Amino acid sequence: MTARTRLLDGAVAQAMSALSGAAKKGLGDPALAELVVIRASQLNHCAFCLDMHLAIAREHGVSERQLDLLSAWEEAEGVYDERERAALALTEAVTVLTEGFVPDAVYERAAKHFDEGQLAHLVGLIAAINNWNRVMVARRIPPGGHQP
Amino acid sequence: MTTHTDDPTTVEYTAERPARLDWARHAPEVYKAMVRLETAARKSIDHTLYELVKIRASQINHCAFCIDMHTKDALASGESVERIVQLSAWDESRHFYTAKELAALELTEAVTVLTDGFVPDEVYENAAKHFDEAELSAVIAAIAVINAWNRFGVTCRMAPGHYQPGQHA
Repeated sequence: MTARTRLLDGAVAQAMSALSGAAKKGLGDPALAELVVIRASQLNHCAFCLDMHLAIAREHGVSERQLDLLSAWEEAEGVYDERERAALALTEAVTVLTEGFVPDAVYERAAKHFDEGQLAHLVGLIAAINNWNRVMVARRIPPGGHQP
Repeated sequence: MTTHTDDPTTVEYTAERPARLDWARHAPEVYKAMVRLETAARKSIDHTLYELVKIRASQINHCAFCIDMHTKDALASGESVERIVQLSAWDESRHFYTAKELAALELTEAVTVLTDGFVPDEVYENAAKHFDEAELSAVIAAIAVINAWNRFGVTCRMAPGHYQPGQHA
């Protein structure tokens, strides 16, 4: 399949990159950031984003086991620590907004593992990847093209 | 105490819940990037259509703060109460909207509810009939940006009701 369109306003693309960059930097955990971004891209079925961020995750040393089991992280005991699990639960709740709100239990679980600054950046990162997912899926940008 | 009367002076609504997180204060550079993105996305799309897209996405994502803000902004820009009220049932009230607006609303729903599947070809192609390639790219960007704002609003539980039209313009 070819892309439906590759057009994306330059200022929009730059601002999106700035958003992702600021969120990732403030979170201060590149490996966790990739797990979050990949999980959101799985939920939103973004092939381009998955291809790109699986490659980046490997560059950051995320284990193959963590990547392989990510779509079943809740059942994968011993593969993710509590902090990662809290971030992944928040990622799912914030990504699947159409089915309801972000439950208190999910939010509070994240707030136990992340201070307010980290949490604000984590929410920013989830919002940013949801933004990229939409821009890529809607235009049907094919996977490939990420240069390490 | 909850009273059951129509007299507005005695009706007691439930208390407003506090926000969970003042994210813009804790992540000012993220907020700045969002504002920059908003400005970039807004510049190449018709304002009336932009607000309809924003309201519809915010309805689907249940963002109370965003609905408060964008219905007020739309009304302040001269949008009709009727078109705003009918928006959540636009498919049944098509005669309130132009064919172009309907194509954009349909695309808004498809791109907002990504978790249920992809953006169907017929939805994309119908939008492509009404918008040229650059306009369509701008509509997609607009849908993506409001989806990002919705996620901040809902997750941080930003309280609706306090927005003044044009406050963030």
